[in-house]
Parts: sequence; C-alpha cells; structure tokens
Amino acid sequence: MNNRRAANGARLSLAMTPMIDVVFLLLVFFVCTVRFERREEVYKLDLPVRGTSADPLELQDSPVQLRIGARTGDQCAIEVRADGIVRTATSFDELATLLEQLQRRGNDGLFEPSHPVLVVPAAECEWQDAVDAFNAAVRARYENIGFAQLSA
Amino acid sequence: MSLLHARGPARIDANLTPLIDLAFLLIVFFVLIARMSGEQLPAVALPQPHHAALSPIQSGQRIAVNVTREGDRTVLSLGAQRFAADRAGESALSQALAQRIARDRTIPVDVRADRTLHYSDVQPVLRAVANAASSAGVGPITVRVCALESTPAPAAARAHE
Repeated sequence: MNNRRAANGARLSLAMTPMIDVVFLLLVFFVCTVRFERREEVYKLDLPVRGTSADPLELQDSPVQLRIGARTGDQCAIEVRADGIVRTATSFDELATLLEQLQRRGNDGLFEPSHPVLVVPAAECEWQDAVDAFNAAVRARYENIGFAQLSA
Repeated sequence: MSLLHARGPARIDANLTPLIDLAFLLIVFFVLIARMSGEQLPAVALPQPHHAALSPIQSGQRIAVNVTREGDRTVLSLGAQRFAADRAGESALSQALAQRIARDRTIPVDVRADRTLHYSDVQPVLRAVANAASSAGVGPITVRVCALESTPAPAAARAHE
C-alpha cells in the first residue's frame, strides 16, 4: 500500500538548475546590452565649397552673425548681428529665443528659416560654446548654418 | 508484466529549458560580435549642448576626423593616421581625406572634437575638409559635427519651448 502510493503519487518539486541557468543568461544579456554613456549624435554643417563660381548677378543674403567670445569665468559674450541690428544674449537659451523672434512667421519677423546663419566664434572661444551657439540656431529652426573662417 | 509497461505508454515531451538556454546564448554571442565588429573610435569628450537639437547617426559608412588634446598639444587623427595641428599636418589630413572622399563621394565626414579645445584648434579641420572636397572634385559634401545627446529637458523647459 505504502509502496504503491510512493510509486503513483505525484511529487511537486522545483527544478532550480535550469532556472538559475536562464536567470544568469538574462543577467549576462542585460549586462552586455546596457549603455550608461550618452549617445553620440550629429549636426549637419554647411561648409563653403571652394572653387565654385558664384553668379555675379545673384543677390547674396548677408548672414545673421552669432559672435561668440572667449569664456571669462562661467560666461561668454554672445552677440547677434543682422542687417544693422546688434543684440546681446546672456545665455544660449536666450540666444535661441532671440533667433526665433527674428525669424519670419507670417508677416512678423525678419528672416526666413532658409536665411544663412554664421557662427563666428573668437579664436579662443571653447568648442563647447561654439557648438552651443550652433545648437541655438538649430533649435530656432534655421536651415542654413555654418561656422566662419578665422581671420588670419 | 514488465516495469516499462506498468508505467504506461511512453510520452514525447519537448524539453524547452535547454532550447531557451541555447537561444539566449546565441543572442548574447551575436550581440557581443556586433559590438566587437563595430567601428572603434577613440574616446573624445564631445560637446554636450543644452537642450540639444541633434540628429541620430544613421548606420553606414562615415569618415571620422578626431581632434583631441594630448597634454598641451592638439592632435588630429583619421583612423590610425595621426597629424600634427599645424599647416603641414592640416595639408596631410586634407590629402588623406581627399583620397577617401574620391573613393566614395557620398560618404559623410564627421568632426569629433574635444569640447575644451579652442575654436582655433578645430577650425583648421573644417578648412581641411573643405579643401579635401574641392581637391577631390566633389561639390557640396556632407559634414557633420558630433556632440552628445542632452538629458531630457525638464517639463517646465519643454513647455517653454
């Protein structure tokens, strides 16, 4: 009687080995795939093409110039020059807002989104600040943005 | 009666555990191989713009020009080739770039520069890329500036935007 019960009675037991196998595999998988560093992304840049002949009759738009000075302390001088207008900004957020205000929407504003914007950093300006100025113009939805040549 | 028949007819079960084990092992293997065969770029402290309006890098071939600081000097590199940050180095970089651009005229050129460098250190690279495009006989070339994506803007800042 006892033997029969032992032979036929179902035993519930948890198979730990395959479970640990799969759990470790999942762990290894997530360790391999996780990335804590920030992702690298890009801005498309307009470079002047050398050797192309410009149409002498074509009216060239004078670009909106974003002049960025060298950093003193935790700030750098930011100036916008366009068609005789000179405005200053105290931060790159303010620069983006200023550039948006200058952009034409309907009958307001001065410049089309396709109007050229030139970032003019000083020689001693940090690359971070130059890219921040470029980013402000991209945020303001300008489409034709470039960096200026340094004067020799 | 034999013991075999006493247990009843044989049942065919699919043993899923080793199957899942192997499937996961294969996934891990392919993920690791994909990482290893990817491009190996030097670590550069790229700019981190505030509220960055960047575009993701599309998969495919690209030329990466790195501008890094080593001690107190600036070094330009293109793959394994290294160039000094002077007129001769700029000219050599331009020639090396022109050869690669001539092989594939649609390939984008990415400028990866250290955020602490001065503009006077990075601008010669932009000039070298423009010179390379013109000496390779290519018209407008796709040049991209690399930066790191920013952390998500706070809700208030997003509402302001």
